Parts: sequence; structure tokens; C-alpha cells
Amino acid sequence: MQLSAQRRVAVSNVPWVLVGGVLLTAAVGIYNLASASRPPSSPVWMSQVLYLGVGIALIIGISLVDYRFLQRATVPLYLLNIVALLGLKLFGHTAKGAESWFVVGPFRIQPAEFMKIGMVLMLAKYFHDDDRPNQPAQGFLRLIPAAAIALFPTAIVLVQPDLGTALMMVFTALTIILFSKPTWPVWVGLGVAFLLGMGVLWNDYVREQPQEDRFTVIRHKLKKHQDARISGWLDPMSDLRGSNYHAMQSKIAVGSGGWSGKGWMEGTQTGLRYLPEQHTDFIFSVFAEEQGFGRSLMLLMLYGVILVGGLGVALSAKERYGAFVAVGICAMIFWQVFENIGMVTGLLPITGITLPLMSYGGSSMVSVMIGIGLLVNVSMRRQMFRR
Amino acid sequence: MNLGLGTQREPKELRPRIFIVGGFFLLGLLVLAVNLYRLMVVRYEEFLALSVDNQFKDVRVRSPRGLIRDRRGEVLVDARPSLDVFITPAFCQKCVLEVIPRLEALLGWTPDQRDRVLELVKSARGPQRYQQIVVQVDLTRDEFDLLNAHQYQLPGVDLEPVPHRHYRSGDALAHVLGYMNEVTSEELTKLNSASVERPPYAMGDYTGRRGVERSFEQYLRGQDGWVKQVVNARGEVMRDASGNVLKRDEVAPRPGRNLVLSIDARLQSEAERVFPGTAGALVAIDARTGFVRAMVSRPSFDPNEMTGRVSPQRLVQLNKDPLQPMVFRAGAQHYSPGSTFKVVTLLAALQSGTFSEQSGVTCGGGYQLGSRRWRCHKESGHGLVHAHEAMKMSCDTYFYKASDAMGIDPIAEVGKALGLGSVTNFGVAAEVPGVMPSTAYHNRVTPGGYTKGMALNTSIGQGDVNVTPLQLAVVYAAIANGGHVYQPQIVERIESAEGQVIEQFGPRLVRTVPMTDEQHRILVDSLIAVVNEPGGTGYRSRLTDVTMAGKTGTAQVAKLGAVRLKTSQMSYWERDHAWFASFAPAQEPELVIIVVNEHGGHGGTDAAPAASAVFRKYFELKRLDGEAFGIEYQPPKTPPAVKAPLLTPPLVAPGDVAGNGLAQQDTGAGIERDPVVTKPVIAATPAPPPDVARPPVQPGEPAEPPPEDPEGR
Repeated sequence: MQLSAQRRVAVSNVPWVLVGGVLLTAAVGIYNLASASRPPSSPVWMSQVLYLGVGIALIIGISLVDYRFLQRATVPLYLLNIVALLGLKLFGHTAKGAESWFVVGPFRIQPAEFMKIGMVLMLAKYFHDDDRPNQPAQGFLRLIPAAAIALFPTAIVLVQPDLGTALMMVFTALTIILFSKPTWPVWVGLGVAFLLGMGVLWNDYVREQPQEDRFTVIRHKLKKHQDARISGWLDPMSDLRGSNYHAMQSKIAVGSGGWSGKGWMEGTQTGLRYLPEQHTDFIFSVFAEEQGFGRSLMLLMLYGVILVGGLGVALSAKERYGAFVAVGICAMIFWQVFENIGMVTGLLPITGITLPLMSYGGSSMVSVMIGIGLLVNVSMRRQMFRR
Repeated sequence: MNLGLGTQREPKELRPRIFIVGGFFLLGLLVLAVNLYRLMVVRYEEFLALSVDNQFKDVRVRSPRGLIRDRRGEVLVDARPSLDVFITPAFCQKCVLEVIPRLEALLGWTPDQRDRVLELVKSARGPQRYQQIVVQVDLTRDEFDLLNAHQYQLPGVDLEPVPHRHYRSGDALAHVLGYMNEVTSEELTKLNSASVERPPYAMGDYTGRRGVERSFEQYLRGQDGWVKQVVNARGEVMRDASGNVLKRDEVAPRPGRNLVLSIDARLQSEAERVFPGTAGALVAIDARTGFVRAMVSRPSFDPNEMTGRVSPQRLVQLNKDPLQPMVFRAGAQHYSPGSTFKVVTLLAALQSGTFSEQSGVTCGGGYQLGSRRWRCHKESGHGLVHAHEAMKMSCDTYFYKASDAMGIDPIAEVGKALGLGSVTNFGVAAEVPGVMPSTAYHNRVTPGGYTKGMALNTSIGQGDVNVTPLQLAVVYAAIANGGHVYQPQIVERIESAEGQVIEQFGPRLVRTVPMTDEQHRILVDSLIAVVNEPGGTGYRSRLTDVTMAGKTGTAQVAKLGAVRLKTSQMSYWERDHAWFASFAPAQEPELVIIVVNEHGGHGGTDAAPAASAVFRKYFELKRLDGEAFGIEYQPPKTPPAVKAPLLTPPLVAPGDVAGNGLAQQDTGAGIERDPVVTKPVIAATPAPPPDVARPPVQPGEPAEPPPEDPEGR
């Protein structure tokens, strides 16, 4: 049986479109990073090549393991990730006011990046185990454990504080939960929650009322820079010299790219360091400024190809766990892309979040590649379940 | 074998939902794409402009301010480097805790100074933190070396030489040259309101405050240049690989115009040297043109100090000084002219026909009008005097009689024609009009109206008549040159920085007072007698080889008491003003000199010697200049075309390397010098003879005779 299962692992089932899209995007990322880290910055693109190598090795490695092993290991992996996140409080390295990294030798590991994968796997396992063919729709009660699985790590990430990753995790979990076909009261509940959220935002930020005697729901609990980012997002032309400076500079970089861009290594906003974190969070501004609208659109299409390829894997999966993992990974990539590009173009408030495959960073690259490895894995093993 | 996947049925029910999720993802990407289109295509122009704005910083290139020279080219005002200390807060690490206390210790600041600097550094926010803040100006050489030695302990502290206006003559001519200080913000808005493009003035710029600096501000100040420098987000100027600043659209600054004054610096320094009193003025103007040749106003102030270096305490001190050093005494202070006014009275008497040359008056030491007696300064009386003697001995009685006969109005008429009672339009410094009383004036001002006694007082330059030294100079110039009243001027021409004449100012004739040759002769003769005949009040100050004409004056300040006091018996503020008004040579007048020595005593003893000393200097200089310019000027020879260095002798002795190198450099420079003769000692010679040291590119600018030099002919 085991042997037969092994035999049914087919290289022909590797999702080549997905893998091709991923490798092409990563290559574009390195090319772009070479410009973003031009002298006098240190040429970090070389390290990124190394990370990409590690990532490819991870895809191959993960695709060789039967993902059902992973399914059994999901709970320990999930718990390990949570322990790692909590461990940050003890051993974490503090930078820019957030405890987000473990420092191991020359590497800085960001456990939150791996937590996303752990959460996706855990949710997939929950929805797999909770499969009730006679009762396909999920009610509130059945969603409580799922919500707990998602919210517990999110809460830890939120207090680090890493608002961007936390938001992304919430959206990813929400996508998976909605994908699991909840009952209509859940939709209504979410709709009400959404409206409530908008109401709070309106009450805390938009409503015409002097700052002093305004009754706020959550605003007073936010850190000052988070507060400034939200108000800056809602009113982009205010405080251009202060809290909105980076958002505006990023928009200037993107907008000044035009149709054809300023050319590789020619971006002035990039070269003159008007972009904060230009090789990580604001990498897309560099790309848009130098490559222009046409190629930016192509980059978006590449992400589209990756997402479609990933969902193709979900479509071809022959059992629930694989399908949920695939959808979860896709949701993770989608929300990260959406949030990152949305923030550098002024559509969303500025939160620290990387652009998958484009941003510089080992943890980011490795976590995306683990996800892709899982997709390849699921795709390659779909023959195992053929009867 | 089950690896935990419990239900291995195909999850067909998930498929439609996957399509929905996929559709949602693609919708999300579409939203991003539309937003990108909005930013990058629709608003492209707007953001491109913003990114260009970001990239380039307009940097002002300051234009050098014009120099002020005397008529022979000697520099009176230029710029000197002031070693200033700057702090750039952004680069100043541990500024408040370490750097500023260190500076305090090294420069010996008072706590007040330190607190001011701390305040400046702390109040810098945002991009301001990248701007230099001046914390101390004018370091001494020792302080500069000290800071230089500690520069590694002083991050963010820069020492830079900054051009600072330098008034070489110190407090001499201060009122005329003026000084400069920072423009106020109100002035800034006013000055910059006219220009649409780049504002000519910026905060922190200096502008002329008084004198020539103010009235010729628009000429002296050049036009600042602009350059767009590429800067990064931190405001750091970007350079290319070879270290050149990346820039674009350079507009070169236009240096300010140079002013050439009519002042002769040598005469000026002699006038400063010989001026006798603590307070007063000396005015020397050209009798034929009205141009000022020397001008002393005492006490004075130091414009170097006033130009951005003055402390508020010092300003208060200057303003509260009872001697009023800030007042321009030559034009902005009026005095009773005393006996120097008698020329006006005499001219009025002659013109009105009241007196002729032969009219005689017997002076018995005074003149009786009604119940009052007007005293002559000589109690025993002068006996029978005519115009000649009356002027020579300054007999008051003669003029009492004349004014009694003609009244005040003929005097006022002549006085006003000669420029009294109104400003001379000197232009560069503040002026007061003085007072030339007339019947109408007294009826308006004096309680009880005009009475004859007022005419009597006026006739000898007392009473309400008040003149400024500058006005008196114009009056005497007119008397000397036969009635031509010139507007006094001090700026001869405006030159470009390269020395081309931009504007040449000629004499400005205000009006000509009708005066017959006969009247002119009587006046000049009587004034010659004052100085050159024994018994004249200015006899002791006569010149040996030139005939000087003049008139002494002793203007009463306090009311005369019953007993006449000697000067030394009076307190300073009660002493008389000593006047001397003169011109020479008497027959062909060139220079008019007015001296007023405030509370100095008698005109003959306390004012006239200064005037004659300046005259002596004037004629000595004229003789010297005449001799110097008499030599035919030979322009330097054009340098011979230097041949390319030969290969023979092929080897150079080791000691000769420097010499040969210099000789070879000569090829392009065109220095008029035989390379072989002067080879090794060029740098070593401490003071080369001037004709050798002067580069022939500007062919001896100072040595060349000024094109229009009346004194040289």
C-alpha cells in the first residue's frame, strides 16, 4: 500500500505553471532588489539569491514528504510556533519598537512569518476533521474552535506589536472560514461586525468633533504611530511633513513611474532614499517607479498566475485537507500582496508587511516557499486518492 | 493504510467555492491595478513634478557685495572673512549633554550665551535640523585653533570663514558709509513683494542701514545666483563619482556694483587727524562741483561693530551717550553759524543797495536799537569800519547797522537762495533743513511776531538762524565760485565689478544766485583779509603759498552774562561753538572747508588751524599727484612669446627643479618677467617691488590717473 502510494506520486502532477510563476516572480524580485539596494546601500540582493536557493530547496524537500505526515504533525507544529512567538517575549530582539525577531548567529528569524503557515495548516486540519457530509454548512458553534485557532496567535502577534501581520492573519483566517461554507447567520454576523468596525472608525476618526471631548472606542488604546497611520490613511493630504510623509513619498514614487518607468537603477525616489524600508516593505514602490505601469501590471498578473495556479491545486485536490491547505496558502499570499501594494499606493494604512517573493528577507522568502512547497506537495499527491 | 485522512472522498462541494475565492482574488488584484492606473497614468504629471521637486533643492549662491572705494581707488569698504561657528543639530551627537558644554568651556561663554545656543539647537525640528545654526561669530585665531584641535570631540560643529563687511577706516566716515544689519521680516515681505520669481532677499540677509550702504543698496547688492542641487531625503547634497556636486540650471550670481566716492582717503585721514575737538564736523567740498572730498563727524561709531556685532547693551550705551555719536553732525545737526553768516548779510546788504563798499559804520562797541543795546564782541569798538574791515575784524556793529537798515527779509532771501533753510539733498545721509528766519517765519513762530531786534541777531548768525555745516559749505562754495549753488554729492560713479563705469555723476547745479563781479570781489577780498591781513581773526592760520579766504565764527550757546567769561571758565555745555568757513585758493577756488568745533571756543583758535592743516595737505597732495602723474605712463610690455622648453640642456640639476617649474608655468600666465632672471626667488621674496608684483593683466589700475581729475591739471 505504501509502495503503491509512493508510485502514485507523479512528477507530471507538479503544478508547473505555479512553480514557473513563483520562480519568475522571485527572479524579478532579485533584479528589482539589485536596484533598490544599489550603492551606497549594501548589495542585499546577493543574500536574496541565497534565500531563494534555500527556498527552492525547501520546495523540493517539502514536496518529497507525504503531506499526510504533515497533517499529523500539524498540532505540534502549531503549538511550536506559538511557543516560539511567546518565546519572543523572553529572547526576542527589539527593533523599531517591536519584538519580532530571534537572532541566531547572522540570521534574524521572524517567527510570525512561520506562524501564518502554522495557522493555515491548523485551520485546514480543523475543517478536515470537522467534515460532516450531512451537515455541510458551518454554524456559529462549529466555527468557535476555528476562530480560537486563528485569534490566539493573532493576538500574540498583535501585541508584539506587528499590526500588519496580525491583520493579514485575520484576513487569511477569515477567507478560510468563509471558504468552509458557513451558515447565513455567520455571514450576517460578519456583516454586522464589519459595519460595527466601520462605525468605530467613523466615530473615532471621521466624525467632526474636537479631539478633546471625542468619545473613542479603540483610538485611545492604539499606539501613537498606529493612530497617526490610520488618520493619515483617512486624510492623505494632512501632515505631509510628519506622519504622512512616507505614505506620500511612496505614492510619489509609484505615480512618477508613469507608463514606462524611470528605468532600472534610475529611480530618483529610490536613489535619493525618499522611501522608507525600500528593500523590504516598500519594494513595490521601487519597482513601480523604475519599471512603470506596464510592467507593474505584469507583476500583478504574475501574482494572479500564482494564485490561479494555487487554486488549481486546490481544485485538483482529492480530499479536504489538501484543498483547505491550498486555499489557505493562496489566501495568505493574496492578502499579503493586497495589503502591501494597497499600502504603498495609499489604498490602505501603512503597516509593516512584506511583498511575497519581492521583498528582501529570509523569513519572508522561506515562509512563502514553504507554502509553495505545500501546494506542490498536495498537487503531486492527488493521484494517491484515486480509486 | 490510513495516514489520518479520515474521509477520503473527493471534496466536490468545495469546487464552486474555490471558483468564488479565485474570482475574489482576481477582483482584489483588479482593484490594485485600477488604483495603480489612477496613480501612474492619470496622476502621472502631478507625481512626476513632486518627485522632481523632491530631488532638487534650490540653493542660493550669494553674490559678493560691491566695494566702496575712494576717488583714487583705495578701498574703504570691502569684505573680510569672519570665522564663524555653526552647529548642524542633525549631525551633532550628544549635542546638549556634551558638545555644547565643551564649546562653552573652550570659548568661555557666559551662561546666557550657552542658554541661547541650547535654545536654538533644541528648537530645531524636522528638516531644520539639517540647517546650520550660527552660534558664534568672529572667532579669534586662537579660538579657531583651539576648536580645530578639538574637532573630533565636536561632532556637528563646523568652522567656516564667512564674508563679512569690513569698514577699513573704522569710525572715520561712519555716518556717510553707514553700516548693515539683518533685514526684518516686515522689510523682507516688502522687498520681496515686487519680484514674482525668486525673492532677492532671504531671511538672515544683511541690508544697508545708513549712509551710502543704504542709499546705494540696490547697486551694492548684486543679484544672487541659483543652482538646483540634487539632494537626498536627508537634505545631503549628492555628488558624482569624482566628488563634484550634481547640479542643474545654474544661474550665476551677479556681483554688486562698486561705488567710487569723491572722498580722497589721504585727505580724509588728515582731516580726522587734525580735527581739534571732541564733537563737531569738518566738511571739505569741491568749490566747483559740490563733491565732498573729506567729511568728519565727531564723535563717531564703528560700523564694523554695528554690522551684526553689536550687543543690545552697547546700542543702549550709544544711544544714551550725551555726545550723540550716532548723529551725523555734518548734515543732521544744525548750529547757530555765528560770524560765518556775515557773508550772507554782507551780500544781502550789497544786493539790496543798503550798503556799498564805501559805506562806513563807526563801531563804538555796540549798536543802540530802541532801548536795547546790541554788543559788539569788542567792547572798546572797532572805530570806523567799511565792508573790508568789518569782515576782517568781524565787527558786529557794521552788520547790526546794515540789518537795521534793510530788515530781515533781504537777508533771508539771499540766505534761502544760497540754500539755507532747506536740505541740500546730499542724499546719502539724514539731513535737517536748518532755519533761515524771515518776517513770515517770526510772525508764525515767535510770540509777539517779528521785531527789528531779530534782524539784528540774524545778521551776525545768532538768533533763530541755524545752519548745518554742509549747508554752510554750499554757501561758501557759491560765494567762492560766483554764485553757483551745487548739490553736495559724495558718490562720483558706479562701476561694475570688472571696473567698467556704469554711471558717472556730474556736478548738479541747483541754482545760480545773481551776483555781480563787483559784489563777488568785495566778498572774496574781505574774506581774504580775514586770513591774510594782520588783525584778521584768522590771521594765525594763513597759508604760505596759497591764498586762503575764510571767516571765523564763534557762536554763542549760552546767554551772555554780565561778565564775559573765558572759555576755560565755562562748563563744556556752555562753551561757544567754534566755526571756520574757508576756501582756497581764494581767486580760483578749488576746495571749501567748513569746520565746526562744538563747544570748542573761538573760531580763530579752535577751528581755523584744522582747516588750514587740511588745506596744506590738499595742496601737498595735489603737488605730489601732479608730479606722479606728470611722468608719462607706460603700460607694461606684453610678455614675449615663450618658446617651448628645449630638450637641451637635457638634465636638470636637482636644486633647480623648483625654479624651472616656475619658469615653465610662466608660459601661460603671461607674467611680464624674464623667466631666467627671476626664477627661484619669487615666492621667497617677502615684498617684491610693486611694479613687479602687480599682475599686468589689470594694467596698474591704481597708478593710472583717474580720467577726470581736476586737481591734476
